[in-house]
Amino acid sequence: MRQGWFKSLFLTMLTGIILAAPVMAQGDKDTAAVSVDPNKEVYPGVKRGDTLIVEDPSGTLINPDSFNVWNVWAGGNGGVSNGLQQLGMDTLWYLDPDAGIDGPWHNSLAAAPPVYNSDYTQMTVKLKKGIYWSDNVEFTAADVKYTVELLKQTPTLLFGSTFGVFVDKVETPDNYTVVFKLTKPNSRFHRNFTVRWNACWIMPKHVMEKDIKVPNDALAYTFNPPVSLGAYVLKDYDKQGTWTLWEKRKDWNRTTIADFGEPAPPYVMYVDAGPSDKRVITQANHELDMIHSIAPEGIIKLSENEWESNWFNGFPWGHPDPTLVAILPNNAKAPFDNVDVRWALALSLDMKKMALASYKGAVTMSPIHYPPTGGSREWYFDPMQDYLKNFSIDTGKGVIKPYDTTIAQQIADAARKNFGDAVPSDPERIKDVIGQGWWGYNPEAAAALLEKNGFTKKNGKWYKPNGEQFTISLLNWGPGNPVLARLGTMVAELWTNFGIDTTATYSQDNGTQYNLGEYDVNMGWNIETWGGHPDLSYFVDTWHSDFYKGIGEMVNGRNGVRYKSAALDKIVDEINVTEFDSDRNIELGLEFLKLTTKDMPTIPLMSYNVFSSQDNTFWSGYPTFDNPYANPVTNWGNGRYIMTQLKQMMPPTK
Amino acid sequence: MKNIIKSPFFKYLTQRLGQFLLVIFVGITVTFIVPRLSPTNPVEQKINQMMVSGANVHPEALQKFREAMTEMYGLEGSNWEQYIAFWKRFLKGDLGPSLSSYPVPVMDLIKKALPWTIGLMMTTTLISWVIGNLLGGLAGYFPDRKWVKWAELGATCVRPIPYYITAFILLIIFCFILPIFPTSGAYARGAVEGFNLKFIGSVLYHTFLPALSLIIVGLGGWLLGMRSLVSNIVADDFVLYAEAGGIDEKIILRKYVIRNALLPQITGLGMSLGAVFSGALITEIVFGIPGLGQLTYKAVISFDYSLIMGVSIFSIVGVSLSVLIVDLLYPLFDPRIRLS
Repeated sequence: MRQGWFKSLFLTMLTGIILAAPVMAQGDKDTAAVSVDPNKEVYPGVKRGDTLIVEDPSGTLINPDSFNVWNVWAGGNGGVSNGLQQLGMDTLWYLDPDAGIDGPWHNSLAAAPPVYNSDYTQMTVKLKKGIYWSDNVEFTAADVKYTVELLKQTPTLLFGSTFGVFVDKVETPDNYTVVFKLTKPNSRFHRNFTVRWNACWIMPKHVMEKDIKVPNDALAYTFNPPVSLGAYVLKDYDKQGTWTLWEKRKDWNRTTIADFGEPAPPYVMYVDAGPSDKRVITQANHELDMIHSIAPEGIIKLSENEWESNWFNGFPWGHPDPTLVAILPNNAKAPFDNVDVRWALALSLDMKKMALASYKGAVTMSPIHYPPTGGSREWYFDPMQDYLKNFSIDTGKGVIKPYDTTIAQQIADAARKNFGDAVPSDPERIKDVIGQGWWGYNPEAAAALLEKNGFTKKNGKWYKPNGEQFTISLLNWGPGNPVLARLGTMVAELWTNFGIDTTATYSQDNGTQYNLGEYDVNMGWNIETWGGHPDLSYFVDTWHSDFYKGIGEMVNGRNGVRYKSAALDKIVDEINVTEFDSDRNIELGLEFLKLTTKDMPTIPLMSYNVFSSQDNTFWSGYPTFDNPYANPVTNWGNGRYIMTQLKQMMPPTK
Repeated sequence: MKNIIKSPFFKYLTQRLGQFLLVIFVGITVTFIVPRLSPTNPVEQKINQMMVSGANVHPEALQKFREAMTEMYGLEGSNWEQYIAFWKRFLKGDLGPSLSSYPVPVMDLIKKALPWTIGLMMTTTLISWVIGNLLGGLAGYFPDRKWVKWAELGATCVRPIPYYITAFILLIIFCFILPIFPTSGAYARGAVEGFNLKFIGSVLYHTFLPALSLIIVGLGGWLLGMRSLVSNIVADDFVLYAEAGGIDEKIILRKYVIRNALLPQITGLGMSLGAVFSGALITEIVFGIPGLGQLTYKAVISFDYSLIMGVSIFSIVGVSLSVLIVDLLYPLFDPRIRLS
C-alpha cells in the first residue's frame, strides 16, 4: 500500500516536471516557432504591420455595446480603457503624469489655460477653432455647455454630482468661449476638465440631443457607435467584449492631437489579454505590442529579448505611477493616534526586506508623503534631503536621526545577486531608480518610543499601557495584486518579529472597512498626485478637517486614515487660494512634507510600480525613463500621445 | 385519478418535486442574504473602485453621488422590503437591472453568456464522462492489460495537477512552442455570428484548447471512479456466478458489470451537468471565453447583487433540476428503486 502511494507520488512529480518544461521555456524566443508576418490579417482587411495591439486591463467587457463613457457602468465596469478614452474622446486640457512631449501641460480643446476671476467663482475658457467631430461637425462651446448641463442634472453619471455642487450656470458668449459661473469659490475647478487618468469628456451635442430627451435617458444611452473627437474612430468591436478596433481618421489633422503630428498606427486594437502569464506568451508571440502590467517575474523574463522595452529598459523595469504605496494606520484609533507609536511602527520596518519581498528589489522608494515620479525629484525629493538628514526624534532614551541614505545602495546590492549587471551601480542612477534613502531599521529606537509611552515587553511580546497585548490586524491585498500582498505579508512578519503580533487579512470588504474607519492598519494608498505638476490639491484638499469623519462614518475622499491637524488645514486653506501654477505651491508642498514627516500619519513606502512591457517588432518609440513623454501604462487617457511618437517598423508588403 | 394519487410513483414524484422547490427557495434566499451581510454594497464598491483608480471627486460631490446611486439602485428600503420586492419581480420572470451594467437587464447579460458556457461545459462534460467511463470500465474488468496500466498511470498523474497549470501547459505547447491554436477568444475577430459552417468552424477551432483542457482534467476522475466501481463489482457473487455459467465475457461486462457500475456515475453526471450553469471561471478567463464564469467574476468584484442573484439562480435551478431529473429517471435504470 505504502509502496503504491510512493510510486504514484513519484510518477506525479515526474510528470509534473516533464510538463513544466514548456512553462520554463515561456518567453524564450529561441524555443518558439514564432512567425513575424506584417501581412497577417488581425481582422478582415487589417494587417498586423499596420496595427498597434494594446492590452485593455478591464478584461472581457460584459456589456461591450455601451460606449457611454460618462456612465460609471460603461461596458459593464471599466469599459472606457478599450481605446474609448485614449483615442475617441477629448477634453479641455491634459496634464501628463510624466514630462509630456512639449511639457506636461497641453491645451487640448482649450486654446489656453483657464482664467479665473479674483475670488475663484468664475472660470473662463477660450476654445480652439477648427476642431471637428468624426461626423464632420465642428466642435464648439455649445458642446461644452451641453455636457455640463446634462451631467449637472444627472448626479449618477460621472462628474454629474460635481457639477451639481459647483456649477451655477454655463454661458457661451460666442462659439469659442465658455464661462463657468460657480456656486462657490473653487480655484481648482479646471481639474474636472484636465486629464491625468481621465477627466470629464466632452459630449457631441448634435448627436446626443437627438436621443436624450430627458436627463435620465442618458443612463440607458449607449453612444454606439461613438462619434469621435479624437484622432481615431471606432471600426468594430467584439460583441463578446474581448477586443475593440480603432481606425485613424482621415481628417486626423482636424483633431487636437495634430499639435504633435500625425499618429503613426493606421489601426489600434485594444484586447483582453488574459492573466499575467498569458500576456507574456502573447507578447512573446508578437501578438501584443503593449502590455499594461504583468508580474515582475514576467517582465524580467521578457526583458531578456532584444525586441522588448520597458520604462527603465532594465532594472527596476516598472513605471512608477504617481501613486504612493503606504501603510495606513487608523489615526483615530488608539494606539495609532499616538505619533510615537506610528514612528515606532516605521522604525521596526526593514525597507530592504520589504523591497525584496514585494518587487524583488525593483522598487522606487519614498520616505516622504509624495510618490517619487514625474518631476518630483526636482520639486520635492532633492530639496527635502537636508531636512530629512537633520530630522531627529527623541525616543526617551536619546535623540536619533532616523534617515538612512545607504538603503538604496543596500537594495541595489541585494538585487544584484538576482539580476546581476542589470542593476545599476552608478550612485546617481541608483538615486533615480531606487531612491535617495528611507527610514533606517532601528528596532531599539522603536522599542524606546513604545516604552516612552508606557508600553512593556514581556516574553518577546509588546503590551499596551492598559495591560492588553498590542496586536495589529492588517488589511492586506489578495491574489489580484500579488506584489502588494507579498509586501503586506512582509510587514506583518517584521512587526510580529518585533513583538507586535500582526495578522494580515484579505477580504473584499477591506475598502469599506477602511472608509468606515473600522480597522487598525491598511495597506494601500491615499496619496495620488498629478505627477507632472507639483500642486498637491489632487489629494490634499480632502484631508482638510472640514471633511473629517469619525470612526463608523463613511469617509468622503482620501482621508481614510483620519488624520487631523490645524497646521495641515492652514496649508490646505492656502493652497485653495493659490494659483495653480504659482511657485508658492512648491513651498506649501514642502511645508506639507515636513509636517507629515514629523506626524507620520501614514508610513510612506514606495511608488506603485506598473510593469508595462512593449514589443518593438512592429512599432518602436515607446516612452521610457530617458524619453518620458508619456505614461506607458495603457489605460491612461494620455496614451493618445504615444501614437504620435511611434515609428512603424514592419509595414505590410502586400 | 384516485389510483394515480395513491400510487407509490406519485408519492415519489411529489416528494421529489417538493424537495426541488424547497432547495430552490432556500438556495435563492441564502444567495439574497449572504452578500447583504457584508459591510459593503454596490455603491461603496463603485466608489472604492473609483478612488483606487485615481478619481478626484470633491467630498460634497461624492456624498451627493452616493445618495443618488443608493436611491437609483433601490437600496434605500430595509433588506426585508428588498427581499419581498425581489420575489415579486422574480415570479414575473424579471431579475431586474444589472447594477454594474446599469440599466441593462440581468437576463440579457445571462442570455448572452449562457450559450458559450453551455456549449463548452456541456460538450466537454459529456465527452469526458463517456470516454472516462468507457476506459474505466475496461480498465476495471481487464486490469492486467498493458494499455490499462498506461491509462491509469496517465489519469493518476494528470488528475492532481491544478487546472490552471494544465491550461497553461496547453497554451504554451499549442500557442507558443507549436503555435497552431489562437491564444484567446471564442471565434475569429471580425467573424459574423451566425449558424453557418464558417462561423461554427471558427468557434470549434478557437474552443478546441479550452475544451481539451476540461476533458483532460475531467476524464481522469471518471476513469478512476469507474475503474474502482468495476473492480468491486467483478468480485461480486453474481458476476462470478455468471462467469462460472459460461456467459460471454462481453455480455457480462456490458449487462452485469457496466450497468451496475453506471448508477452512481449517472448521479455524478447529473450533478456535473447541473454545475455547468456555474460556468468555468478559470477556463473562461485563461482562454478568453465570454461565458457565465466571467460574468460571475465581474458580478462579484463589483458587488452587483442583481447579477450575483441571477447567475446563482441559474446555478441553483440547474443543479436542482439535474438532481430531480436523475431522481425521476433512476427507476428506469435501477429496477430496485422502481419496485420499492
